[in-house]
Amino acid sequence: MPEAVPQNGAYMVAAYIDAAVILLVYALTLFRRSRRPS
Amino acid sequence: MTLAQRGRWITAVALLLLAGVYVRALVFTPEEAHQGLAQKIFYVHAPAAWSAMLSMGLVGLASILFLLIKDPRYDRFAAASAEVGTAFSLVMLTTGPIWGKTIWGTWWTWDARLTLTLFLFFLFLGYLLMRGAVTEPGLRARYSAVLGICGLVLLPFIHLSVYLFRTLHPAPIVLKPSAPSLPPEMLVTLLSSFAVFTLLYVGFVTMRYAIGDGGGIDA
Repeated sequence: MPEAVPQNGAYMVAAYIDAAVILLVYALTLFRRSRRPS
Repeated sequence: MTLAQRGRWITAVALLLLAGVYVRALVFTPEEAHQGLAQKIFYVHAPAAWSAMLSMGLVGLASILFLLIKDPRYDRFAAASAEVGTAFSLVMLTTGPIWGKTIWGTWWTWDARLTLTLFLFFLFLGYLLMRGAVTEPGLRARYSAVLGICGLVLLPFIHLSVYLFRTLHPAPIVLKPSAPSLPPEMLVTLLSSFAVFTLLYVGFVTMRYAIGDGGGIDA
């Protein structure tokens, strides 16, 4: 009998959201700071 | 075009390409038979780890050049790269445990690879905190350079830890002496992600370098 594939799609979604949030928030802070007059 | 504008453009393009990598990884890359969908976490986790190590590697090299040449631009670049590296380390250190929970059954284990990458994150944090704490620019640059070189020395140990110690963490699949051990569709996705994360690093560092000491943590 073939081994069942684990049902762990929620972990994948969580990791992709986590990475996107961190990178987007950091990008936004850089966009804001780089527009601020020095 | 100013440096800040160039950085913003590179970052915007890299973020669009990152969205493309997400679509390719989630929709068009086959599911791994044993690990299921969680294996796809690898397409963001490994490139984030690469970018974090690239960041620290360049912090270290810029630090050496600063100590040799005394050009403050190297110190400024190192500071920019360290901040960007902190963000990539955070991605690495948060996506890894999510994969670990479903594949290993635990969020975290104190094995060599994981502990050393956590140490890398603390080095980034320590670097940024020290820059904030030391106000005299010459002293700050010298102390930072020493810490940056410590980070550079740490990198080979992180990469080789899976060979040197008994560890749960998988061995490298691409960055190893023999050919990559991945089916072509998965390999293309992974290499695309590596390229996009590298471009994102370039965009972030360009913007952060343009900000300089005026808008950063070390202001």
